[in-house]
Amino acid sequence: MRAMGEPAKKEDKDKAPRPKDVQRGVWSAETIAEIRHKAFYGKHRIRGCGSVRSYPSFDDLIILPAMLTRMSIDTYREDCKTQTVLGHRFAKKPLVIETPIMISGMSYGALSKEAKTALAKATDIVGTSINNGEGGLLPEERANSYKQVVQILPSRMAFSLRSIEAADALELAAGIGAKPGLAGHLMGSKITKEIAEMRQLPVGIDLHSHPRHSDIFGADDLVLKIQELRDVTDYQIPIFFKFAAGRVKEDVKIAVKAGVDGVVIDGSQGGTGAAPVIASEHLGIPTLPALVQATQALEEMGLKDEVSLIVSGGITNGADVAKALALGADAVALGTGVMVAMGCAVCLRCHEGRCAFGIGTQDPELRSRLDIDQAARKVANYITAMTAEAVMLAKAAGKTQLKSMEREDLRSLSLTACAMTGIPLAGSNYTFGEMFGFC
Amino acid sequence: MVRLNIKGMSSREVNARLRELMGTEAEIVIEHPDSVHNLGAALKGQGRIVVEGSTGFYTGGFLEGPTMVIKGNTGWYTGDNMTAGEIIVEMNTGSNAAPSMIGGTVVIKGSTGSRTGFGMKGGDLIICGDAGRWTGGMTLGGRIIILGRVGQGLGESMYKGIIHTADPQVEEKIGGNVIVKPIDRREKEEVAGLLARYGLQAGVENLASVLPNPSGRHQYHLFKPTHKKAG
Repeated sequence: MRAMGEPAKKEDKDKAPRPKDVQRGVWSAETIAEIRHKAFYGKHRIRGCGSVRSYPSFDDLIILPAMLTRMSIDTYREDCKTQTVLGHRFAKKPLVIETPIMISGMSYGALSKEAKTALAKATDIVGTSINNGEGGLLPEERANSYKQVVQILPSRMAFSLRSIEAADALELAAGIGAKPGLAGHLMGSKITKEIAEMRQLPVGIDLHSHPRHSDIFGADDLVLKIQELRDVTDYQIPIFFKFAAGRVKEDVKIAVKAGVDGVVIDGSQGGTGAAPVIASEHLGIPTLPALVQATQALEEMGLKDEVSLIVSGGITNGADVAKALALGADAVALGTGVMVAMGCAVCLRCHEGRCAFGIGTQDPELRSRLDIDQAARKVANYITAMTAEAVMLAKAAGKTQLKSMEREDLRSLSLTACAMTGIPLAGSNYTFGEMFGFC
Repeated sequence: MVRLNIKGMSSREVNARLRELMGTEAEIVIEHPDSVHNLGAALKGQGRIVVEGSTGFYTGGFLEGPTMVIKGNTGWYTGDNMTAGEIIVEMNTGSNAAPSMIGGTVVIKGSTGSRTGFGMKGGDLIICGDAGRWTGGMTLGGRIIILGRVGQGLGESMYKGIIHTADPQVEEKIGGNVIVKPIDRREKEEVAGLLARYGLQAGVENLASVLPNPSGRHQYHLFKPTHKKAG
């Protein structure tokens, strides 16, 4: 320490924070970079992976272990069922999968053929489903998938009666959590000759899809559209409706009244191959409150046991799965998580099409870096481990089947989570009360 | 030929009955359609269905082969996602006719509403009367012929495909990312042949062609100031 009046030494000066190292509140490096981008180009920035915000999440909840109020189930020697049945409301052949973990819609175009094939193979290893996403159903995906969900998007690119005939379930998609209210963005770097031919697009064009279905203009039309799809499929396969989390309660009720077998809610942590940054960060609500509202909507309609509820957006581990099921989900869907399992580093640059791991690219050289069978094994291992984690927690909570997880098994760790979910704060049995919609 | 009275039947019942009859009957005449929705959903085969009256929404959706003749009007979304076959509407249709159509032909002898042929991927769509706003938006293929007038935003952001229109104000009505050019000889011959096939009497000399911007690059402007600069 320097004595009063003693001149400052050089090393003291070096220790003083330099202006560039000072935290500058709202003027973070990210903010400055954003402004400079806009100042240069006069338009918004596009980025991959979706929002990077820190949201209230399943980590804000804790699972209560079974002790004397109930008995725990032996982790290693007793069973806990994981088989999941989705879409049994009207469909003659509901989607039956071995784990409540599905692979969500990611397009061939955003992802490479190798990545899509690996994901499909992974579903066959663990017995779950894959969703084709926008831009058509890749033959290699259908040939290798255990159960195939076919997404029906506003663009209808490469979608036809053949797609429906190949499906184990249909998913009418109205939006995703990473860019709710907007539609697909596929940058020109990924519109190669092969992708362009499949989607009937000019090579190299930046694709900005349309957000509304040109054959569904409102809730009344949705009723008729679903009837049409029932006529087309003879009520054989389930029809789900996917939307980004916004006015969840109302949206769920409308979709259910329109006659769907299940709803898929994508929270704002959901991923994407490309989206305007401003949309990812400022549109839609997080997965946690979205799931709570969806469950409430189904309970208010008296249809919780009839209509399947699938949730996605920011699901990373088995605890998220167990907590999501406790909050009312029947299954979860993974996007970014399975990409990470294949090698993705979440660099946020999927939109550039130069993915070094051969996942989010159409470059032949980069694609060749992804070993399909190895990637499939990693994804299968990841889903296996996640399911096992969920089973472990459920057994500790005294459950012999995953779907028996319930709200009473949870406590909140934060006031925010308590208010959003109505789950009592840990150490108490109290919530914020009716003004938040809970008793 | 067989006559089928569908009064009081649900679309599910009607479509199931049509599938049965398509295997044995060359022509099915539907009586009392009462604006039924979803008529002919995903019907396959080579038969002919004549509807003596008007139908509701989604007429001929996912159609794959048959010819449907509707003597009256149809509701919205006629021929949605159809792959092959023909839908001939003797009167008018609601909006969003032939959305995401893949193949076959839709002929509307009257007029139609907005967003006709939106996201169309193939096939031919002929409108003998007028068509509303945003006709042919974001098409990925196919051909749209409008013998009457069109609304604003014609062909907005077409990726592929072609639109022919007789509207003399077409230049003022096109949407973004498309161009207008005079119809060329080959196009005239093709259009004339198509119209003749359906017995449609119309000249093709004054048709204009609307095509995607040849640069292949779409430009969008989310902020469009309209003020006069002070300087």
